[in-house]
Amino acid sequence: MKVVHSWLKEYVGEKLPDEQAVEDLLNFHAFEIDGAEQVEGETVIDVDVLPNRSSDCLCHRGIARELATILDVQMANDPLAQVPALKTTDVIGVSIEDTNACPRFTASLITDIEVKESPDWLQKRLKALGQRPINNIVDATNYVMYAIGQPMHAYDADLFPKVDGKWQFDVRYAKAGETVSLLAEGGKDEDRVIELDGSELLIVDASSDTPISLAGVKGGRYAGVHAESKNIIIEAAHFHPTLTRKTARRLGIVIDASKRFENEPSRELPPYGQAEIIALIADIAGGNCEGVLDEYVEKIENPEVTVTLKKVNALLGLQLDLTQVADIIKRTGATVVVNADAESVVAQGPFERTDLHIEEDFIEEVGRLYGLDKIVSVVPDATNSIKTINARHYYSEKIRQCLLDLGFSEVVTTSFHKKGKIQLQNSLASDKSYVRGNLSKNLHQVLDANFSHTDMLGLRDVRVFEIGTVFSKSETAITEHLSLALGVRTKGNGFTAPDERILVAACDALEETLSTSLAWEKEKGVAELNLSQVVDTLPAPTQYDAFPQKNAVQYKTVSQYPAISRDIALWVSQGVQADEVMAVLNESAGDLRYRTDIFDEFTKDGKTSYAFRLVFQATDRTLTDDEVAGIMEAVYQVVRENNWEVR
Amino acid sequence: MQPPTGHQHPLTHMIAEINDIFAKIGFEFAEGPEAELEKYNFDRVNVPKDHPSRDMQDTFWFKAKDVSEPTVLRTHTSPVQARVLEGTQPPIKIIVPGKVFRNETTDATHEAQFYQLEGLYVDKGVSLGHLKGTLEYFFSEFFSGKTEVRFRPSFFPFVEPGIEVDMKLLEGDSKLAGKWIEVMGAGMVHPNLLEVAGIDSTQYSGFAFGMGIDRLGVMKYGVDDVRDYYTGDLRFVNQF
Repeated sequence: MKVVHSWLKEYVGEKLPDEQAVEDLLNFHAFEIDGAEQVEGETVIDVDVLPNRSSDCLCHRGIARELATILDVQMANDPLAQVPALKTTDVIGVSIEDTNACPRFTASLITDIEVKESPDWLQKRLKALGQRPINNIVDATNYVMYAIGQPMHAYDADLFPKVDGKWQFDVRYAKAGETVSLLAEGGKDEDRVIELDGSELLIVDASSDTPISLAGVKGGRYAGVHAESKNIIIEAAHFHPTLTRKTARRLGIVIDASKRFENEPSRELPPYGQAEIIALIADIAGGNCEGVLDEYVEKIENPEVTVTLKKVNALLGLQLDLTQVADIIKRTGATVVVNADAESVVAQGPFERTDLHIEEDFIEEVGRLYGLDKIVSVVPDATNSIKTINARHYYSEKIRQCLLDLGFSEVVTTSFHKKGKIQLQNSLASDKSYVRGNLSKNLHQVLDANFSHTDMLGLRDVRVFEIGTVFSKSETAITEHLSLALGVRTKGNGFTAPDERILVAACDALEETLSTSLAWEKEKGVAELNLSQVVDTLPAPTQYDAFPQKNAVQYKTVSQYPAISRDIALWVSQGVQADEVMAVLNESAGDLRYRTDIFDEFTKDGKTSYAFRLVFQATDRTLTDDEVAGIMEAVYQVVRENNWEVR
Repeated sequence: MQPPTGHQHPLTHMIAEINDIFAKIGFEFAEGPEAELEKYNFDRVNVPKDHPSRDMQDTFWFKAKDVSEPTVLRTHTSPVQARVLEGTQPPIKIIVPGKVFRNETTDATHEAQFYQLEGLYVDKGVSLGHLKGTLEYFFSEFFSGKTEVRFRPSFFPFVEPGIEVDMKLLEGDSKLAGKWIEVMGAGMVHPNLLEVAGIDSTQYSGFAFGMGIDRLGVMKYGVDDVRDYYTGDLRFVNQF
């Protein structure tokens, strides 16, 4: 929700601090700030209003009220301070099919207005919020929505036929197959004609049973205000939040008005919207208000909630007294009565706070207004020992340690497959529409993909394992278990006999570690088993092994450019250490060297032969053979200077 | 020739470390299914029936023909709270590390699958002060340096009051040191969760928190793309 600082000041008064202080107050007591900018010479703050406060804070008055509450000051000018006294009229009528879907409907008749451009101050505020001014009437409806959160819609009364001398609205559900023409969306010229399925609520001109807008979601062009309009009807209503959201989502129309209805603003709000707009139009378009229709069928009141001092302090970890608690709750505009027991109060939120239902809701208000920074840490009890050891975690760690020691690295792969046995009902991507039924399939891919990186990894073969959940189907449900899979690849062209030997040795080592026999399913260098089943047969562990601390790791982004390897073998005098030689090679190889590994070493006749593999890679380009040849030439040069003999 | 020792994946390594840290203050390692009933994933953790997060856009649903009760790939580890509360009398002190799923477009900071860490402590007299102390202890251990946390107001359906937690590493030369970083959502367990599980919310209270383990790795190790955790690429794994 974008708010204009000067607009907030109009409501809060001179005690409103500057932009930075406003941001801090909101951040630590109410809402996060998404940003701030200067637009049209106005300071605009983007407030991330929380879902439970979107009922009352998606407007300037709401944020201003919040700031006044936090600052503990009286608002200088509160549009919701007094119930508006509106002149009634019987020239407008409404018939509501479902009063749960539309519990309140108000409409005012204003005559003799002049449609023209809005005054500068109003245009400036709308532009600051990123809105394009249209004319004074349309701008007024938008202004009131941003001011107090009540969406409004204006009709040309002269284009709206009367029935028996009355403007008659119907609020009813659509008929399946019925269409409604909605105003063009931003950037489009054509109005959008929508075919309805019957779930939508419509505002209808009863004289001809013509749908004129999708209730709560979007208005149509029918009887729209134009440059020559003289007499207008302004609607302000309350529509069911879920109904509004479902229709808006299904049709892909999420605009400022529907967003407000979706969040269930107070049912008390429509008359305040009328009062605001009647005054504003008188000011910027002239004319007279003939009266307002107010059909309010399903009235609800905020509940009276008992808030006990003990519970406030117990949940917040504070030591407040009852007077402090009562005073803080009062700041929200709630009515507070202290009970005779002097241990609790009865609180009722102001009408616009439709989020205050239970004791904990009020305790949250106390906590954030008093200051969450005043909560004192309770140091946890380190002598508190655990009773249950999680066997699956315990044995998974044992298995990991065994496999790591054998040179296997652990992977965590996707739970989604492109094909499989269990398809999801919905998925954003076609390669993610099934859940995995095994780990082996992913491990085969991991082995293939990694084999080409063995030089970069300083490995001669690829050994990997994964422990993860796989899914299957019973008659009535999706079932799942923990699976363990391991795989080996020693040659680039797929599965070969040596893979099997390493795999069998690892499987045997795991049997030894777990002291049990294991039933593997093996295929082409990958073995898998149901680990949940195995763990169920193992003795319950009594304590976790000590956690192996590791040195701090600073991750480096993996370059996506290919690596190039070059081998060098050389004779040195016996006694010259490999590390020493490697250091010299590395220095001459320069920054493009990614790593160096020694892969052969033997001593004969007082000389030692070392064979090294140097791997080169750039982070910003593909290296050429020529480039690497140049580097290697420098390496050979240094070798000669050291009187080492290249083999 | 003996192959070099393999490398543990940073996610499971962090989970083991998290478990080690929390076990020392009495938190037990709990789990729940990844294919979770709608009842536990949403209803029992107080997510309103018509809440947008239940929509197809955010949640992976299993097909109706495959299940007798509506089932999703769990969108958070919070359903394990509901399952544990249902079957246990307080005191309850658990952590729940586990894989969760969101049906959303992926980028360097979002994956359709990621790991979450849930924490829950329910007993007589548990307050936001306990939450603060527990988190300060955890972060100080996990990031190897004295760490402070601060609370800001927030909203999650399963807690009331709801809290956003920022942390600041006070010492060391890590990139994290000296600045506030938003790390997780938390709060006091909503009384509805306790009551539906048969725990008297006038007698017992509790705190709960939830954070991304993938994100902890971004902070701890400098991982710059969370999708890399799930590629199976050893050029990634073998750095750890």
